[in-house]
Amino acid sequence: MNLTTSHLIALLPLLIVGTTVIVVMLGVAWRRHHVASATVTVIGLNLALLSLLAVLNVTPLEVTPLIVVDKYAVLYMALILVASLACSTLAHAYLEGLDDQREEFYMLLLCATMGGLLLVSSQHLASLFIGLELLSVPIYGMAAYTYRDRTSLEAGIKYMVLSAMASAFLLFGMALLYAEAGTLSFSGLSARMSGGELSSAWTLMGVGMMVIGLGFKLSLAPFHLWTPDVYEGAPAPVSAFLATVSKIAVFAVLLRFFMTAPATGDGWLHTVIAIIAFLSMLVGNLLALTQNNLKRLLGYSSIAHLGYLLTVIVASDGLAIETAGIYLITYVATTLGAFGVVTLVSSPYQGPDAGQLYHYRGLFWRRPYLTAVLTLMMLSLAGIPLTAGFIGKFYALAIGVESSLWWLVAGIVIGSALGLYYYLRVMVTLYLHEPGESRRDATANWGQRSGGVMVLLLALAVLVIGIYPQPIISLVRSATLITAG
Amino acid sequence: MEISFYLAAIVAVFATFRVVTHTNPVHALLYLVVSLLAVAMAFFALGAPFAAALEIIVYAGAIMVLFVFVMMMLNLGSAAVDRERQWLQSSLWIGPSIMATVLILVFAYAFIDGGGIGTVSGETLMAKEVGIALFGPYLLIVELASFLLLAALVAAAHIGRDDSRREQPLRNLNGSVRQPSKLEQGGER
Repeated sequence: MNLTTSHLIALLPLLIVGTTVIVVMLGVAWRRHHVASATVTVIGLNLALLSLLAVLNVTPLEVTPLIVVDKYAVLYMALILVASLACSTLAHAYLEGLDDQREEFYMLLLCATMGGLLLVSSQHLASLFIGLELLSVPIYGMAAYTYRDRTSLEAGIKYMVLSAMASAFLLFGMALLYAEAGTLSFSGLSARMSGGELSSAWTLMGVGMMVIGLGFKLSLAPFHLWTPDVYEGAPAPVSAFLATVSKIAVFAVLLRFFMTAPATGDGWLHTVIAIIAFLSMLVGNLLALTQNNLKRLLGYSSIAHLGYLLTVIVASDGLAIETAGIYLITYVATTLGAFGVVTLVSSPYQGPDAGQLYHYRGLFWRRPYLTAVLTLMMLSLAGIPLTAGFIGKFYALAIGVESSLWWLVAGIVIGSALGLYYYLRVMVTLYLHEPGESRRDATANWGQRSGGVMVLLLALAVLVIGIYPQPIISLVRSATLITAG
Repeated sequence: MEISFYLAAIVAVFATFRVVTHTNPVHALLYLVVSLLAVAMAFFALGAPFAAALEIIVYAGAIMVLFVFVMMMLNLGSAAVDRERQWLQSSLWIGPSIMATVLILVFAYAFIDGGGIGTVSGETLMAKEVGIALFGPYLLIVELASFLLLAALVAAAHIGRDDSRREQPLRNLNGSVRQPSKLEQGGER
């Protein structure tokens, strides 16, 4: 395998992030310095983001049979890098109060980002698996990073055990598919499937097991049990990372897999995915109704949102790629903003995060702008017009109607109605009178710190996308997927 | 060759079942070693002798021995001698031994009957083919797998770090602050 210059250019984001890991590691080995590590991380991620402009000149390009860098991959790489940037600025504000070694966090974050970058550009089950592990293994460490706090350690261990289980399912499914098809590449599998050679029970079982594995990572309905606990226990920046980067990457590769190799020929798998989507919408929203913990509530809300998003895979035609892109962009901006506010209120680190809703009671009277941001994010999650969330939900409904998936359309409508209730509950809490008891609060100058600036920018983005979505839509439209290998 | 594959596979399934059901960690590990050996035999029968050798060297050899050592070292003390005698009761090692004997008989049969390295079907994959695949299409994945190991190492090093080496006062799990005792510090240096 000869790698030419254009191959190396296509790999630039991965190479830059990988180099940053090494630089941060050597820096830590030489002298521990929190701000320096965070700065190097942010510079590396920004360089990787810039390098995407160069990558655009060489796309679409196949780098080894395992990785393809097309415009679709570039769009999701950009989304992942932006989300990682946001998480690292949040982590910087958060970790300042941690009485422990803080620099390793950035190494883990960068490694997980590499996993995400690999996943969105993989067109082969081997790179899918390695990418998924590279994404998950650092998250074990990140979730348990503040391990002197029991809930964080519990979150880490829970995520590790269940994620390993999901990986086992995924691997077994891949093995079954390989035994039947004799190839691991998406296009190879697709060719064998469309030839009708792969309709045996083994193939369906293999694809089904892979759906279980990926469904776990996306926390879809029957496999969602870990989500609220891990979101609650993990440090807030890590929850943000889990809710964004990990979801984007896994969903992007799932969509690529189903666009390239639609295993929906006989309708069996199609029905299963539709049921999973419908269940996720209902379960996520119903369980969130009585939550008094904002982090758990966001966890349940992410289950519901992934359910809405899964409509795209059930439809898998026409608007699918565009819808997925728009929905993920709006979802990521909104979720990052919401977790950003939680992080700012909980930072610098001083024990368990401020997750309970009563921590936020009367926040408006103390931090009006921060409250405005959280309110905006809640409105966007609920899908109120003039926010980004509305555009995403509109697209999801449109694709459901276009493909006549009436059950899923009903699910989205019911889910949104339920969602409105609990998002409004959070908002009401923010504007209630202040309680007399002691509470957690953001630092006084949060708006001038990097984390605060990032949250304000996200709020601006959510508004702009909500009011004037055209640039984003045309950007997503240009991100075409290369299906033929 | 086919019969040896199925025999090895049966042994692997039984041994793994015992790993899961056994309550004593050392015995479970013993069965795990047998299970890994059986998987190696299955690889061998499938015509992948290189993978089989790696399985034995890396998993059954290095990693499992490490596991057993750690497991035994965790329980040092006066009671350990009694416990080790208890571990060596014949009823406990007889199961793994029988399975290992079956495996070696299968191996011997495969070697004599198959006239050397054979396969169930398809061609035999030697180290050269594996190397060409690893440094050809899978090159990037091999490199990225090293990052995976790095990430796992960093996570393990952070969480499993020895607290008694720290100079500052540190927080316990229950939130109270404690000073590392003289004894703990002395023990480390």
